[in-house]
Amino acid sequence: MPILSLIIFLPLLGALGIAALPSSRPSLIRFAALGVSLITFALSLGMLVGIRGQSGEFAFSEQLSWIPSFGITYHLGVDGLSGALVVLTTLLSWICILASFGPIQTRVKEYFISFLILETGMLGVFLALDLFLFYIFWEIVLVPMYLIIGIWGGADRIYATIKFVLYTLVGSLLMLVAILATAFSHQAATGSWTGAFDLLALRGTITDPTLQILGFAAFALAFAIKVPMFPFHTWLPDAHVQAPTAGSVILAGVLLKLGGYGFIRFAIPLFPDGAQLFAPLMIVLSVIAIIYGALVAIVQTDLKKLIAYSSVSHMGFVTLGIFTFNQQGVDGAILQMLNHGLITSGLFLLVGIGYERTHDREIAKMGGWAVRTPVYAALFGFFLFASVGLPGLSGFAGEFLVLLGAFIANPMVAGASTFVMIFAAVYLLYMYQRVFTGPLSPFLKGLGSKLTDVTPTEILTLAPLAALVVIFGVMPTLLTSSFAKSVEIFLMSAISVVGQ
Amino acid sequence: MNNDLLTLAPLITVVLGAIAVLASDMITPNRNHAPVAVALAALGATAALLINQGGSTASALGGSYVAGPFVAFVGLLGISIVAITLLIAPAYLAARKYPTAELAATLLFALAGAILLGAATDLITLFIGLELMVIPGYVLAGYAKRDPLSTEGAVKYFLLGSFSSAILLFGIVVLWGVAGTASLSGIATALASGEANAGLAVALALITTGSAFKIAAVPFHYWTPDAYQGSPTPITGYLSVGPKVGAFVLLIKLFVIALAPLATLWIPVMVVLAAATMTLGNLVALTQSNVKRMLSYSSIAHTGYLMVGIVAAGAGEAAGIAGILFYAAAYAFMNLGAFAFLTALQGRPGATTQLSDLAGLGRKHPRMAILATIFLLSLTGIPPTAGFFAKTYVILAAVQAGGPATILAVIAVLNAAIAAFYYLRVIVYLFMRDPAEPAVQVAEGPMLRAGLLIAAIGTVALGLAPTPIIEAVIQALAT
Repeated sequence: MPILSLIIFLPLLGALGIAALPSSRPSLIRFAALGVSLITFALSLGMLVGIRGQSGEFAFSEQLSWIPSFGITYHLGVDGLSGALVVLTTLLSWICILASFGPIQTRVKEYFISFLILETGMLGVFLALDLFLFYIFWEIVLVPMYLIIGIWGGADRIYATIKFVLYTLVGSLLMLVAILATAFSHQAATGSWTGAFDLLALRGTITDPTLQILGFAAFALAFAIKVPMFPFHTWLPDAHVQAPTAGSVILAGVLLKLGGYGFIRFAIPLFPDGAQLFAPLMIVLSVIAIIYGALVAIVQTDLKKLIAYSSVSHMGFVTLGIFTFNQQGVDGAILQMLNHGLITSGLFLLVGIGYERTHDREIAKMGGWAVRTPVYAALFGFFLFASVGLPGLSGFAGEFLVLLGAFIANPMVAGASTFVMIFAAVYLLYMYQRVFTGPLSPFLKGLGSKLTDVTPTEILTLAPLAALVVIFGVMPTLLTSSFAKSVEIFLMSAISVVGQ
Repeated sequence: MNNDLLTLAPLITVVLGAIAVLASDMITPNRNHAPVAVALAALGATAALLINQGGSTASALGGSYVAGPFVAFVGLLGISIVAITLLIAPAYLAARKYPTAELAATLLFALAGAILLGAATDLITLFIGLELMVIPGYVLAGYAKRDPLSTEGAVKYFLLGSFSSAILLFGIVVLWGVAGTASLSGIATALASGEANAGLAVALALITTGSAFKIAAVPFHYWTPDAYQGSPTPITGYLSVGPKVGAFVLLIKLFVIALAPLATLWIPVMVVLAAATMTLGNLVALTQSNVKRMLSYSSIAHTGYLMVGIVAAGAGEAAGIAGILFYAAAYAFMNLGAFAFLTALQGRPGATTQLSDLAGLGRKHPRMAILATIFLLSLTGIPPTAGFFAKTYVILAAVQAGGPATILAVIAVLNAAIAAFYYLRVIVYLFMRDPAEPAVQVAEGPMLRAGLLIAAIGTVALGLAPTPIIEAVIQALAT
């Protein structure tokens, strides 16, 4: 059974089914979307179990001829790394759909259709092993996200959504040129288009030094914008602030990971020499992102913007870990991607829950929230400490391993980045103090009985994330062992190929 | 002689079809459906003949007309363009009391020109085909003869078109003189062995200028926005696609075949023209608030992308021509689709095509808005649509050619990002703004709906399953 195709296209089929439902029955549409995303989640869990029993690098491979004139194939496969990210995607998708039940009241049908198409696009990116197919899914992700921010977003949504699309598009179009150049170099070397777009056939064969450098630069730009690395991060705060809650969650939880995944799966294995050449620059930019994101987060007055900038800082650890090219660093980077996906998603959900009640995110207006809504405050505190990197919660292991890897590569870099972990504690705890502790602020008092505590549905969206944060906090080896083979192969593929 | 007639059968069928359309209008005047039905029947017959000829080559008229897969491809593309135009135009024209029969006949004559252009193997047949294709265009641009804008556009189009034809013809004559033969392949042979001289330089300069006018490359593009905006919307759709595709067939024959030995001379010129064309077209399109005018400028930008294929082909990459042919097919469907959408919005005479007229359309007419979105995404080049694969194909050819073509490829993709801004802005108005007051009246009869649907199917199919067209394109080049 082609389980990977099933996982990718089930949400799309669901979207088509929902298109046939009448717009006048919004609750039917909501539950249909939830049902589709839950089935997809269940399938992806089954896939995760199945990977363990498989030998070889990629499990459940599917390969069909698609555009034979250019050797383009429909090639899918999953390993420990992409398997974990697929499950993160399917998990966050149903959580987001559930979390959208209340907040999305206009054009419900269009919303859930967009969301399910988005899920198909994201899953396709993680499972594609053909560069052309990968690029198509990569671009498909743009359109529904563009609509989700642009239609259901805040006041400045149109500015934010166009900025998001244009930034991403510039990067990805240059990547397209690089993909085509890579494919052509393969065709020129072997005299045949067969395998010209296939990641597994191309890996380790690109020995042209110019292509190594330019190809890596083009791929890296596309991924750096997505991650986002400093200085390509400016679209992120705008997009996050304007997006509806579920949009922010998916953006932080999955879309940013597409960039990190792209580095590990495509950019570095295809262009190891280019990667080695650019690694110092990437490490410097990562450290700048870590420091800069944290410093800017301290002065934010908007809750969502604060978390957006904290994402820039946290994702800096991901790119830093990747470019250390050692096992600790890469393990840490992948852990950090997964944990950031769980923790920041939780924080964005919580900010959204607060916004539902106050219709405001201005930190200065808040204060003493814990007095009225103790459960909400406790959950917020939990995810906040996880984000700070409290040992025992999942955020710690990833950052620790990245720093360890950075220390092996360059102690100076590790020192600078470790220092920043104090800033993370500063901006998050300072924010928590202003929003939740002390006497109830006049603004919150003025809301009266509207300021209710979290509902059972909302707890349902947060509980799985919280549980995973604890489980992976205590036993990070559950994750590291699942993608150990992927990391091992990645480290081997990052070794120079030119001149061999 | 009999064989000649058989070979020329598609061309003859089209011309007879045009005459039959005019005759049917004389018998039953002012009936809009009869001429369209006759024209569609003629198109169907021509398509069948072309497909029948597509398998092998056959020459007629002493070798100056060669039928085969290349003509079949060009002809079938032309038939699709004319058929879609004929489906979307009648309701629009009827609402404004303009006749339909003349449109059908004129389009068929232009199609005859396109087929001749595709089949031509010498300079004279090529030029006759070109003129037969563009002269109906002048008539069509002035179709709304009581509208001063339309007349102005038609006069500009006619004057500049005639001048450029004259320049081109002068260049052709000089080339003929220098090479000593009118045959395209003969010229290539003569030029490959001969030395460069002043006459050749004059010929190359004149032919390049004349051709640049015909494809509306910057800085020879000034006639397009006025001609396009003044014409009735469905006719603008045709003008932005049909004559452009024909002009690129001319470019393939003149530059890639006849002038191939001089490629090192004309490639730098084409690179500069292509870069200027796409960049300027896109930058000006950015500033337009009228969708019809925006699409006019964006069609200039698409000319630039198509020229990338000419550059790649000049550098010796057959994929360049294949890319142009694929791009032309994709562009025909997506651009005609976009114009069909605008036509539907202009159900009432006097309805404008300002961006603000589109506000909130997604809520009132969701199906129409989704179709428009597909066309716009394809024009932007977002997968999995025809426009994406077309751009990919042309860029792939440019990357293969290497050198200046690669730089052109990078300029092209950066331009695609600029273009995304104004195409996506239309989607912003469709879905993210509150409905305009008074709301736009959407008129969609069964014919217009069929036209929209064909364009949409083409746009999606060429993106998802491009293989049949790629194979047709590769086969077209085999001869």
